[in-house]
Amino acid sequence: MKLTRRKLAAVVAGAAATSVPAQAVPQTAASDDDLKTARDRMRANAAALANQNVPMATEPAFQFKA
Amino acid sequence: MAAIGDDVFFATIPELNARLKAREFSAEELARAFLERLQQLGPRYNALALPLPQEAIRAAKEVDKDFKRERLRGPLQGIPYGVKDLLAFAGQPTTWGAKPYAGQVFDFNATVIQKLAGVGAVLTGKLSMVELAGGGGYRFPSASLTGPGLNPWDRTRWSGGSSSGSGAAVAAGLVPFAIGSETSGSILTPAAFCGVTALRPTYGLVSRYGAMALSWTLDKLGPFARSAEDCGLILQVIAGKDGKDPGSAGKSFYYTPQYARAVKDLKIGFAPADFAEWAEPNTRPAFSAAMDALKAGGVQFVETKLPGFPYGQTLSTILNGEMASIFEPLIASGKVDELADKPQIAGLKAALELPAKDYLKAMRIRRLIQEEISKLFAQVDVLVAPARAAIASKLDQPLDRGAGGPPPKDPGFRPIIPLGNLAGLPALALPCGFADNMPVALQLVGLPFSENTLLALGRDFQSRTDWHKRRPPV
Repeated sequence: MKLTRRKLAAVVAGAAATSVPAQAVPQTAASDDDLKTARDRMRANAAALANQNVPMATEPAFQFKA
Repeated sequence: MAAIGDDVFFATIPELNARLKAREFSAEELARAFLERLQQLGPRYNALALPLPQEAIRAAKEVDKDFKRERLRGPLQGIPYGVKDLLAFAGQPTTWGAKPYAGQVFDFNATVIQKLAGVGAVLTGKLSMVELAGGGGYRFPSASLTGPGLNPWDRTRWSGGSSSGSGAAVAAGLVPFAIGSETSGSILTPAAFCGVTALRPTYGLVSRYGAMALSWTLDKLGPFARSAEDCGLILQVIAGKDGKDPGSAGKSFYYTPQYARAVKDLKIGFAPADFAEWAEPNTRPAFSAAMDALKAGGVQFVETKLPGFPYGQTLSTILNGEMASIFEPLIASGKVDELADKPQIAGLKAALELPAKDYLKAMRIRRLIQEEISKLFAQVDVLVAPARAAIASKLDQPLDRGAGGPPPKDPGFRPIIPLGNLAGLPALALPCGFADNMPVALQLVGLPFSENTLLALGRDFQSRTDWHKRRPPV
Protein backbone atom coordinates (compact mmCIF):
# COMPACT_ATOMS: atom_id res chain seq x y z
CA MET A 1 0.00 0.00 0.00
CA LYS A 2 1.65 3.22 -1.15
CA LEU A 3 0.35 6.30 0.61
CA THR A 4 0.89 9.85 -0.45
CA ARG A 5 1.65 12.33 2.31
CA ARG A 6 -1.74 13.93 1.79
CA LYS A 7 -3.57 10.59 2.05
CA LEU A 8 -1.60 9.64 5.12
CA ALA A 9 -2.38 12.91 6.86
CA ALA A 10 -6.08 12.26 6.25
CA VAL A 11 -5.80 8.70 7.53
CA VAL A 12 -3.93 9.55 10.70
CA ALA A 13 -6.13 12.51 11.49
CA GLY A 14 -9.11 10.16 11.37
CA ALA A 15 -7.34 7.40 13.26
CA ALA A 16 -6.27 9.68 16.06
CA ALA A 17 -9.80 10.84 16.55
CA THR A 18 -11.44 7.42 16.39
CA SER A 19 -8.97 5.03 17.93
CA VAL A 20 -9.18 6.45 21.41
CA PRO A 21 -11.17 3.91 23.43
CA ALA A 22 -14.33 4.72 25.25
CA GLN A 23 -12.66 5.31 28.61
CA ALA A 24 -12.84 8.93 29.60
CA VAL A 25 -9.52 10.70 29.53
CA PRO A 26 -9.53 13.63 31.94
CA GLN A 27 -9.03 17.06 30.46
CA THR A 28 -5.51 18.30 30.98
CA ALA A 29 -4.90 21.46 32.91
CA ALA A 30 -4.55 24.84 31.28
CA SER A 31 -1.33 25.40 29.38
CA ASP A 32 -0.02 28.13 31.72
CA ASP A 33 -0.34 25.80 34.69
CA ASP A 34 1.46 23.06 32.79
CA LEU A 35 4.26 25.44 31.88
CA LYS A 36 4.61 26.51 35.51
CA THR A 37 4.69 22.85 36.60
CA ALA A 38 7.37 22.05 34.02
CA ARG A 39 9.47 25.04 35.10
CA ASP A 40 9.06 24.12 38.76
CA ARG A 41 10.22 20.59 37.99
CA MET A 42 13.32 21.95 36.24
CA ARG A 43 14.05 24.21 39.20
CA ALA A 44 13.70 21.25 41.57
CA ASN A 45 16.09 19.27 39.39
CA ALA A 46 18.59 22.12 39.48
CA ALA A 47 18.32 22.33 43.26
CA ALA A 48 19.02 18.60 43.59
CA LEU A 49 22.04 18.91 41.31
CA ALA A 50 23.31 21.91 43.27
CA ASN A 51 23.37 19.79 46.43
CA GLN A 52 25.63 17.24 44.78
CA ASN A 53 29.29 17.91 45.46
CA VAL A 54 31.37 17.55 42.30
CA PRO A 55 35.19 17.73 42.46
CA MET A 56 36.49 20.66 40.42
CA ALA A 57 38.54 18.36 38.21
CA THR A 58 35.51 16.33 37.12
CA GLU A 59 34.88 16.84 33.44
CA PRO A 60 31.44 16.44 31.89
CA ALA A 61 30.71 13.08 30.28
CA PHE A 62 31.16 14.48 26.77
CA GLN A 63 32.18 11.99 24.12
CA PHE A 64 30.04 9.73 26.22
CA LYS A 65 31.02 6.08 25.98
CA ALA A 66 29.50 3.35 28.07
CA MET B 1 -1.57 -21.72 1.75
CA ALA B 2 -0.24 -24.01 4.45
CA ALA B 3 -2.23 -23.98 7.67
CA ILE B 4 -0.73 -21.30 9.90
CA GLY B 5 -2.20 -21.43 13.36
CA ASP B 6 -1.73 -19.74 16.70
CA ASP B 7 1.33 -21.82 17.47
CA VAL B 8 3.09 -20.03 14.61
CA PHE B 9 2.07 -16.57 15.81
CA PHE B 10 3.66 -17.27 19.18
CA ALA B 11 6.67 -19.30 17.99
CA THR B 12 10.24 -18.30 18.72
CA ILE B 13 12.69 -17.33 16.00
CA PRO B 14 14.52 -20.72 15.96
CA GLU B 15 11.15 -22.51 15.76
CA LEU B 16 9.98 -20.38 12.83
CA ASN B 17 13.33 -20.69 11.10
CA ALA B 18 13.27 -24.49 11.40
CA ARG B 19 9.75 -24.66 9.95
CA LEU B 20 10.70 -22.35 7.07
CA LYS B 21 13.74 -24.46 6.26
CA ALA B 22 11.61 -27.62 6.48
CA ARG B 23 9.28 -26.01 3.88
CA GLU B 24 6.26 -26.37 6.15
CA PHE B 25 5.32 -22.97 4.76
CA SER B 26 7.05 -20.41 2.58
CA ALA B 27 8.34 -17.03 3.72
CA GLU B 28 5.62 -15.44 1.61
CA GLU B 29 2.90 -17.49 3.31
CA LEU B 30 4.33 -16.62 6.69
CA ALA B 31 4.51 -12.92 5.83
CA ARG B 32 0.93 -12.94 4.52
CA ALA B 33 -0.35 -14.64 7.67
CA PHE B 34 1.39 -12.15 9.97
CA LEU B 35 0.36 -9.20 7.79
CA GLU B 36 -3.28 -10.24 7.95
CA ARG B 37 -3.09 -10.60 11.72
CA LEU B 38 -1.22 -7.31 12.15
CA GLN B 39 -3.74 -5.39 10.06
CA GLN B 40 -6.72 -7.08 11.67
CA LEU B 41 -5.65 -6.91 15.31
CA GLY B 42 -3.13 -4.06 15.35
CA PRO B 43 -5.83 -1.36 15.50
CA ARG B 44 -7.49 -3.26 18.35
CA TYR B 45 -4.51 -2.32 20.52
CA ASN B 46 -3.66 0.97 18.77
CA ALA B 47 -0.38 -0.79 18.02
CA LEU B 48 -0.16 -0.28 14.28
CA ALA B 49 1.18 2.95 12.78
CA LEU B 50 1.56 1.75 9.18
CA PRO B 51 1.29 -1.69 7.54
CA LEU B 52 3.79 -2.42 4.78
CA PRO B 53 2.14 -5.25 2.82
CA GLN B 54 3.64 -4.62 -0.61
CA GLU B 55 7.17 -4.18 0.68
CA ALA B 56 6.84 -7.22 2.97
CA ILE B 57 5.53 -9.56 0.27
CA ARG B 58 8.24 -8.41 -2.13
CA ALA B 59 10.93 -9.08 0.50
CA ALA B 60 9.42 -12.45 1.44
CA LYS B 61 9.41 -13.58 -2.21
CA GLU B 62 13.12 -12.77 -2.40
CA VAL B 63 13.68 -14.87 0.73
CA ASP B 64 11.85 -17.79 -0.88
CA LYS B 65 14.11 -17.52 -3.92
CA ASP B 66 17.10 -17.62 -1.59
CA PHE B 67 15.75 -20.68 0.24
CA LYS B 68 15.26 -22.37 -3.14
CA ARG B 69 18.91 -21.71 -4.01
CA GLU B 70 19.91 -22.75 -0.49
CA ARG B 71 21.36 -19.32 0.18
CA LEU B 72 20.90 -19.39 3.92
CA ARG B 73 21.45 -16.14 5.78
CA GLY B 74 20.88 -17.05 9.40
CA PRO B 75 18.00 -17.58 11.83
CA LEU B 76 16.20 -14.31 11.02
CA GLN B 77 15.80 -15.17 7.34
CA GLY B 78 12.13 -14.96 6.42
CA ILE B 79 11.04 -13.86 9.91
CA PRO B 80 8.48 -11.01 9.90
CA TYR B 81 9.02 -8.11 12.28
CA GLY B 82 7.90 -4.57 13.09
CA VAL B 83 9.69 -1.36 14.05
CA LYS B 84 8.76 1.52 16.29
CA ASP B 85 7.65 4.40 14.08
CA LEU B 86 10.72 6.45 14.86
CA LEU B 87 12.88 4.51 12.40
CA ALA B 88 13.23 5.77 8.85
CA PHE B 89 12.01 3.43 6.12
CA ALA B 90 12.58 4.90 2.68
CA GLY B 91 9.56 6.27 0.86
CA GLN B 92 7.08 5.63 3.67
CA PRO B 93 5.86 7.94 6.44
CA THR B 94 7.82 8.05 9.68
CA THR B 95 5.63 9.99 12.08
CA TRP B 96 7.56 9.75 15.37
CA GLY B 97 4.07 9.25 16.81
CA ALA B 98 3.40 12.97 16.59
CA LYS B 99 0.96 15.03 14.55
CA PRO B 100 3.49 17.69 13.46
CA TYR B 101 5.47 14.92 11.73
CA ALA B 102 2.52 12.97 10.30
CA GLY B 103 3.60 13.59 6.72
CA GLN B 104 7.33 13.09 7.22
CA VAL B 105 8.97 10.79 4.63
CA PHE B 106 12.68 9.91 4.49
CA ASP B 107 14.51 8.66 1.42
CA PHE B 108 16.79 6.24 3.28
CA ASN B 109 16.53 3.32 5.66
CA ALA B 110 17.65 3.30 9.28
CA THR B 111 20.75 1.19 9.78
CA VAL B 112 18.91 -1.44 11.86
CA ILE B 113 16.33 -1.90 9.09
CA GLN B 114 19.14 -2.18 6.55
CA LYS B 115 20.93 -4.77 8.66
CA LEU B 116 17.78 -6.82 9.18
CA ALA B 117 17.03 -6.69 5.45
CA GLY B 118 20.55 -7.97 4.84
CA VAL B 119 19.79 -11.24 6.66
CA GLY B 120 16.35 -11.63 5.08
CA ALA B 121 14.10 -10.48 7.92
CA VAL B 122 10.77 -9.19 6.56
CA LEU B 123 9.49 -5.82 7.76
CA THR B 124 5.68 -6.00 7.92
CA GLY B 125 4.85 -2.69 9.58
CA LYS B 126 5.66 0.39 11.59
CA LEU B 127 4.43 0.24 15.20
CA SER B 128 2.90 3.00 17.25
CA MET B 129 4.65 4.99 19.94
CA VAL B 130 4.18 7.83 22.40
CA GLU B 131 4.63 11.13 20.54
CA LEU B 132 8.31 12.10 20.29
CA ALA B 133 9.04 9.17 22.62
CA GLY B 134 7.55 11.20 25.45
CA GLY B 135 10.62 13.31 26.15
CA GLY B 136 8.66 16.34 27.29
CA GLY B 137 6.95 14.36 30.02
CA TYR B 138 3.38 13.24 29.28
CA ARG B 139 0.47 12.84 31.65
CA PHE B 140 -1.76 10.32 29.86
CA PRO B 141 -1.26 7.27 27.63
CA SER B 142 -3.29 9.11 24.97
CA ALA B 143 -0.16 11.14 24.13
CA SER B 144 0.15 9.53 20.72
CA LEU B 145 -0.93 10.08 17.13
CA THR B 146 -2.53 6.62 17.15
CA GLY B 147 -4.28 6.93 20.50
CA PRO B 148 -3.28 5.26 23.76
CA GLY B 149 -1.42 1.98 23.52
CA LEU B 150 -3.87 -0.69 24.72
CA ASN B 151 -2.56 -3.67 26.63
CA PRO B 152 -3.33 -7.07 25.03
CA TRP B 153 -3.84 -8.53 28.53
CA ASP B 154 -6.50 -5.95 29.38
CA ARG B 155 -7.51 -3.25 26.93
CA THR B 156 -8.53 -0.91 29.74
CA ARG B 157 -4.87 -0.71 30.70
CA TRP B 158 -1.85 0.89 29.04
CA SER B 159 0.68 -1.10 27.03
CA GLY B 160 3.46 1.10 28.37
CA GLY B 161 5.63 3.65 26.64
CA SER B 162 7.14 4.94 24.72
CA SER B 163 7.59 1.76 22.62
CA SER B 164 3.88 1.00 23.10
CA GLY B 165 3.24 -0.74 19.78
CA SER B 166 6.43 -2.81 19.95
CA GLY B 167 5.42 -4.30 23.31
CA ALA B 168 1.76 -4.87 22.41
CA ALA B 169 2.42 -6.29 18.94
CA VAL B 170 4.85 -8.92 20.21
CA ALA B 171 2.58 -9.81 23.16
CA ALA B 172 -0.46 -10.26 20.89
CA GLY B 173 1.44 -12.36 18.33
CA LEU B 174 1.17 -9.73 15.59
CA VAL B 175 4.91 -9.95 14.89
CA PRO B 176 7.52 -12.46 16.10
CA PHE B 177 9.78 -9.60 17.15
CA ALA B 178 9.97 -5.82 17.09
CA ILE B 179 12.50 -3.05 17.45
CA GLY B 180 11.91 -0.34 20.05
CA SER B 181 13.95 2.41 21.64
CA GLU B 182 14.83 3.54 25.13
CA THR B 183 16.04 6.86 26.45
CA SER B 184 14.89 6.10 29.99
CA GLY B 185 12.54 3.15 30.43
CA SER B 186 10.88 3.01 27.00
CA ILE B 187 11.91 -0.60 26.32
CA LEU B 188 11.70 -1.98 29.85
CA THR B 189 8.27 -0.51 30.66
CA PRO B 190 6.24 -1.85 27.70
CA ALA B 191 8.07 -5.18 27.96
CA ALA B 192 7.09 -5.47 31.63
CA PHE B 193 3.51 -4.31 31.12
CA CYS B 194 2.91 -6.57 28.09
CA GLY B 195 4.77 -9.64 29.37
CA VAL B 196 7.42 -9.98 26.67
CA THR B 197 11.18 -10.37 26.79
CA ALA B 198 13.16 -7.32 25.70
CA LEU B 199 16.71 -6.08 25.73
CA ARG B 200 18.05 -2.57 26.21
CA PRO B 201 21.55 -2.86 24.75
CA THR B 202 24.66 -1.07 25.96
CA TYR B 203 24.77 2.54 24.74
CA GLY B 204 26.51 2.65 21.37
CA LEU B 205 26.22 -1.06 20.56
CA VAL B 206 23.33 -0.61 18.11
CA SER B 207 23.45 2.18 15.53
CA ARG B 208 20.74 4.83 15.83
CA TYR B 209 21.27 6.18 12.33
CA GLY B 210 17.82 6.87 10.91
CA ALA B 211 16.15 6.90 14.33
CA MET B 212 14.51 10.00 15.78
CA ALA B 213 16.94 11.64 18.19
CA LEU B 214 15.55 12.53 21.60
CA SER B 215 18.84 12.58 23.51
CA TRP B 216 22.11 11.89 21.71
CA THR B 217 23.81 10.58 24.82
CA LEU B 218 20.93 8.43 26.10
CA ASP B 219 19.07 6.93 23.11
CA LYS B 220 19.37 3.19 22.43
CA LEU B 221 17.55 0.77 20.09
CA GLY B 222 16.75 -2.78 21.16
CA PRO B 223 14.63 -5.88 20.49
CA PHE B 224 11.30 -7.10 21.88
CA ALA B 225 10.85 -10.84 21.39
CA ARG B 226 9.57 -14.16 22.76
CA SER B 227 12.66 -15.18 24.70
CA ALA B 228 16.13 -14.17 25.84
CA GLU B 229 17.54 -16.37 23.09
CA ASP B 230 15.52 -14.52 20.44
CA CYS B 231 16.85 -11.21 21.79
CA GLY B 232 20.41 -12.54 21.43
CA LEU B 233 19.82 -13.64 17.84
CA ILE B 234 18.36 -10.25 16.93
CA LEU B 235 21.06 -8.27 18.72
CA GLN B 236 23.74 -10.21 16.83
CA VAL B 237 22.29 -8.81 13.59
CA ILE B 238 21.55 -5.23 14.59
CA ALA B 239 24.69 -4.54 16.66
CA GLY B 240 27.92 -3.26 15.17
CA LYS B 241 30.03 -0.31 14.20
CA ASP B 242 28.37 2.42 12.15
CA GLY B 243 30.24 5.49 11.01
CA LYS B 244 26.90 7.22 10.48
CA ASP B 245 26.16 7.16 14.22
CA PRO B 246 28.57 9.39 16.19
CA GLY B 247 27.65 7.45 19.34
CA SER B 248 28.59 4.09 17.85
CA ALA B 249 30.88 2.13 20.16
CA GLY B 250 32.48 0.42 17.18
CA LYS B 251 31.82 -3.03 18.62
CA SER B 252 30.08 -6.10 17.26
CA PHE B 253 28.06 -8.62 19.23
CA TYR B 254 28.12 -12.37 18.80
CA TYR B 255 25.49 -14.32 20.66
CA THR B 256 27.53 -17.03 22.34
CA PRO B 257 25.64 -18.33 25.38
CA GLN B 258 27.79 -21.45 25.30
CA TYR B 259 30.81 -19.35 26.28
CA ALA B 260 29.10 -17.23 28.94
CA ARG B 261 30.09 -17.70 32.55
CA ALA B 262 28.26 -20.49 34.35
CA VAL B 263 25.15 -19.14 36.05
CA LYS B 264 26.18 -20.66 39.36
CA ASP B 265 29.33 -18.53 39.30
CA LEU B 266 27.39 -15.27 39.04
CA LYS B 267 26.95 -12.88 41.93
CA ILE B 268 23.67 -11.01 41.70
CA GLY B 269 23.12 -7.79 43.59
CA PHE B 270 19.65 -7.06 44.89
CA ALA B 271 17.93 -4.75 47.38
CA PRO B 272 15.33 -6.37 49.65
CA ALA B 273 13.36 -3.10 49.81
CA ASP B 274 12.58 -3.37 46.09
CA PHE B 275 10.60 -6.54 46.65
CA ALA B 276 9.30 -6.02 50.18
CA GLU B 277 8.47 -2.30 50.15
CA TRP B 278 8.57 -0.67 46.72
CA ALA B 279 6.79 -3.41 44.76
CA GLU B 280 3.01 -3.03 44.95
CA PRO B 281 1.58 -5.58 47.41
CA ASN B 282 -0.28 -7.52 44.67
CA THR B 283 2.99 -8.11 42.78
CA ARG B 284 5.05 -9.35 45.72
CA PRO B 285 4.10 -13.05 45.54
CA ALA B 286 5.09 -13.15 41.85
CA PHE B 287 8.40 -11.41 42.50
CA SER B 288 9.13 -13.67 45.44
CA ALA B 289 8.55 -16.80 43.34
CA ALA B 290 10.65 -15.34 40.54
CA MET B 291 13.58 -14.69 42.86
CA ASP B 292 13.30 -18.30 44.05
CA ALA B 293 13.39 -19.48 40.43
CA LEU B 294 16.46 -17.34 39.79
CA LYS B 295 18.09 -18.75 42.91
CA ALA B 296 17.35 -22.30 41.75
CA GLY B 297 19.89 -21.78 38.96
CA GLY B 298 22.59 -21.61 41.62
CA VAL B 299 23.37 -17.88 41.51
CA GLN B 300 24.67 -16.17 44.61
CA PHE B 301 22.56 -13.27 45.85
CA VAL B 302 24.39 -10.34 47.41
CA GLU B 303 22.52 -7.58 49.24
CA THR B 304 23.66 -4.39 47.54
CA LYS B 305 23.23 -0.63 47.97
CA LEU B 306 23.42 1.87 45.15
CA PRO B 307 25.68 4.89 45.55
CA GLY B 308 23.68 7.98 46.48
CA PHE B 309 23.17 10.34 43.55
CA PRO B 310 20.25 12.39 42.23
CA TYR B 311 19.82 9.93 39.35
CA GLY B 312 16.38 10.99 38.16
CA GLN B 313 17.13 14.70 38.28
CA THR B 314 20.46 14.20 36.50
CA LEU B 315 18.84 12.25 33.71
CA SER B 316 15.97 14.72 33.35
CA THR B 317 18.36 17.63 33.10
CA ILE B 318 20.48 15.98 30.40
CA LEU B 319 17.37 14.89 28.52
CA ASN B 320 15.86 18.37 28.72
CA GLY B 321 19.02 20.02 27.44
CA GLU B 322 19.51 17.70 24.47
CA MET B 323 15.80 17.42 23.63
CA ALA B 324 15.38 21.21 23.63
CA SER B 325 18.20 21.61 21.16
CA ILE B 326 16.89 18.82 18.91
CA PHE B 327 13.30 20.07 18.86
CA GLU B 328 14.01 23.81 18.97
CA PRO B 329 12.65 24.27 15.41
CA LEU B 330 9.41 22.51 16.38
CA ILE B 331 9.01 24.63 19.50
CA ALA B 332 9.99 27.90 17.80
CA SER B 333 7.58 27.30 14.91
CA GLY B 334 4.64 26.87 17.27
CA LYS B 335 3.87 23.46 15.77
CA VAL B 336 4.69 21.95 19.14
CA ASP B 337 1.15 22.98 20.13
CA GLU B 338 -0.19 20.29 17.78
CA LEU B 339 1.02 17.56 20.13
CA ALA B 340 -1.67 15.58 21.94
CA ASP B 341 -0.49 15.94 25.53
CA LYS B 342 -0.42 19.40 27.10
CA PRO B 343 2.15 18.64 29.83
CA GLN B 344 4.41 17.28 27.08
CA ILE B 345 4.04 20.56 25.14
CA ALA B 346 4.85 22.50 28.31
CA GLY B 347 7.83 20.28 29.07
CA LEU B 348 9.32 20.92 25.64
CA LYS B 349 8.80 24.67 25.90
CA ALA B 350 10.25 24.87 29.40
CA ALA B 351 13.27 22.81 28.38
CA LEU B 352 14.37 25.63 26.05
CA GLU B 353 15.01 27.70 29.19
CA LEU B 354 17.43 25.22 30.78
CA PRO B 355 20.63 27.03 31.84
CA ALA B 356 23.82 25.63 30.29
CA LYS B 357 25.37 25.37 33.75
CA ASP B 358 22.68 22.91 34.82
CA TYR B 359 23.25 20.70 31.80
CA LEU B 360 27.00 20.74 32.43
CA LYS B 361 26.58 19.99 36.11
CA ALA B 362 24.40 17.02 35.23
CA MET B 363 26.98 15.73 32.76
CA ARG B 364 29.68 16.06 35.42
CA ILE B 365 27.56 14.17 37.94
CA ARG B 366 27.02 11.58 35.26
CA ARG B 367 30.79 11.06 35.11
CA LEU B 368 30.84 10.43 38.86
CA ILE B 369 27.93 8.01 38.54
CA GLN B 370 29.74 6.02 35.87
CA GLU B 371 32.85 5.79 38.05
CA GLU B 372 30.91 4.64 41.11
CA ILE B 373 28.86 2.11 39.14
CA SER B 374 32.08 0.59 37.79
CA LYS B 375 33.19 0.09 41.40
CA LEU B 376 29.84 -1.45 42.29
CA PHE B 377 30.26 -4.04 39.56
CA ALA B 378 33.55 -5.12 41.11
CA GLN B 379 31.38 -6.68 43.84
CA VAL B 380 28.60 -8.18 41.71
CA ASP B 381 28.12 -9.34 38.11
CA VAL B 382 24.48 -8.45 37.65
CA LEU B 383 21.84 -6.35 39.41
CA VAL B 384 18.27 -7.59 39.64
CA ALA B 385 15.15 -5.54 40.39
CA PRO B 386 11.50 -5.38 39.35
CA ALA B 387 11.30 -3.99 35.82
CA ARG B 388 8.30 -2.02 37.12
CA ALA B 389 7.04 -2.03 40.69
CA ALA B 390 3.38 -2.19 39.60
CA ILE B 391 1.24 -3.70 36.87
CA ALA B 392 0.17 -1.63 33.86
CA SER B 393 -1.85 1.41 34.86
CA LYS B 394 -5.43 2.12 33.82
CA LEU B 395 -5.76 4.31 30.72
CA ASP B 396 -7.35 7.21 32.56
CA GLN B 397 -4.81 7.18 35.38
CA PRO B 398 -2.39 10.13 35.23
CA LEU B 399 1.14 8.85 34.72
CA ASP B 400 2.66 11.57 36.88
CA ARG B 401 0.53 10.52 39.85
CA GLY B 402 2.57 9.25 42.78
CA ALA B 403 1.96 5.85 44.36
CA GLY B 404 0.35 7.57 47.34
CA GLY B 405 1.51 7.48 50.93
CA PRO B 406 5.02 8.14 52.20
CA PRO B 407 7.76 6.41 50.21
CA PRO B 408 9.85 3.70 51.93
CA LYS B 409 12.98 5.02 53.66
CA ASP B 410 15.29 2.58 51.92
CA PRO B 411 15.55 3.63 48.24
CA GLY B 412 16.64 0.12 47.23
CA PHE B 413 17.28 0.07 43.46
CA ARG B 414 14.38 2.44 42.87
CA PRO B 415 16.44 4.68 40.51
CA ILE B 416 17.84 1.75 38.51
CA ILE B 417 16.21 2.87 35.24
CA PRO B 418 17.77 6.38 35.20
CA LEU B 419 20.98 4.93 36.65
CA GLY B 420 21.21 2.26 33.94
CA ASN B 421 20.54 4.77 31.20
CA LEU B 422 22.96 7.37 32.54
CA ALA B 423 25.74 4.78 32.69
CA GLY B 424 24.78 3.20 29.36
CA LEU B 425 24.24 -0.22 30.95
CA PRO B 426 22.44 -3.10 29.20
CA ALA B 427 19.26 -4.48 30.76
CA LEU B 428 17.10 -7.50 30.05
CA ALA B 429 13.38 -7.54 30.91
CA LEU B 430 12.11 -11.03 31.79
CA PRO B 431 8.42 -11.84 32.33
CA CYS B 432 8.26 -13.42 35.78
CA GLY B 433 4.63 -13.91 36.76
CA PHE B 434 1.23 -12.27 37.06
CA ALA B 435 -0.63 -10.04 39.49
CA ASP B 436 -4.38 -9.55 38.99
CA ASN B 437 -3.98 -11.35 35.63
CA MET B 438 -1.47 -8.77 34.43
CA PRO B 439 2.20 -9.53 33.68
CA VAL B 440 5.08 -8.47 35.90
CA ALA B 441 8.77 -8.67 35.03
CA LEU B 442 12.26 -8.62 36.45
CA GLN B 443 15.09 -6.61 34.99
CA LEU B 444 18.68 -7.83 34.92
CA VAL B 445 21.29 -5.09 34.57
CA GLY B 446 24.97 -5.63 33.81
CA LEU B 447 28.20 -3.87 32.94
CA PRO B 448 28.53 -2.31 29.50
CA PHE B 449 28.84 -5.01 26.81
CA SER B 450 27.88 -7.83 29.18
CA GLU B 451 24.82 -8.76 27.07
CA ASN B 452 25.92 -12.40 26.77
CA THR B 453 25.95 -12.73 30.56
CA LEU B 454 22.47 -11.23 30.89
CA LEU B 455 21.11 -13.35 28.05
CA ALA B 456 22.64 -16.55 29.46
CA LEU B 457 21.09 -15.81 32.84
CA GLY B 458 17.78 -14.99 31.16
CA ARG B 459 17.89 -18.18 29.12
CA ASP B 460 18.58 -20.20 32.25
CA PHE B 461 15.64 -18.55 34.03
CA GLN B 462 13.36 -19.18 31.05
CA SER B 463 14.42 -22.83 30.88
CA ARG B 464 12.88 -23.28 34.33
CA THR B 465 9.82 -20.98 33.97
CA ASP B 466 7.13 -20.51 31.35
CA TRP B 467 6.02 -16.94 32.02
CA HIS B 468 7.48 -15.81 28.68
CA LYS B 469 5.29 -18.38 26.88
CA ARG B 470 1.97 -17.16 28.28
CA ARG B 471 -0.42 -15.65 25.74
CA PRO B 472 -2.98 -12.92 26.28
CA PRO B 473 -6.63 -13.65 25.43
CA VAL B 474 -6.38 -12.28 21.88
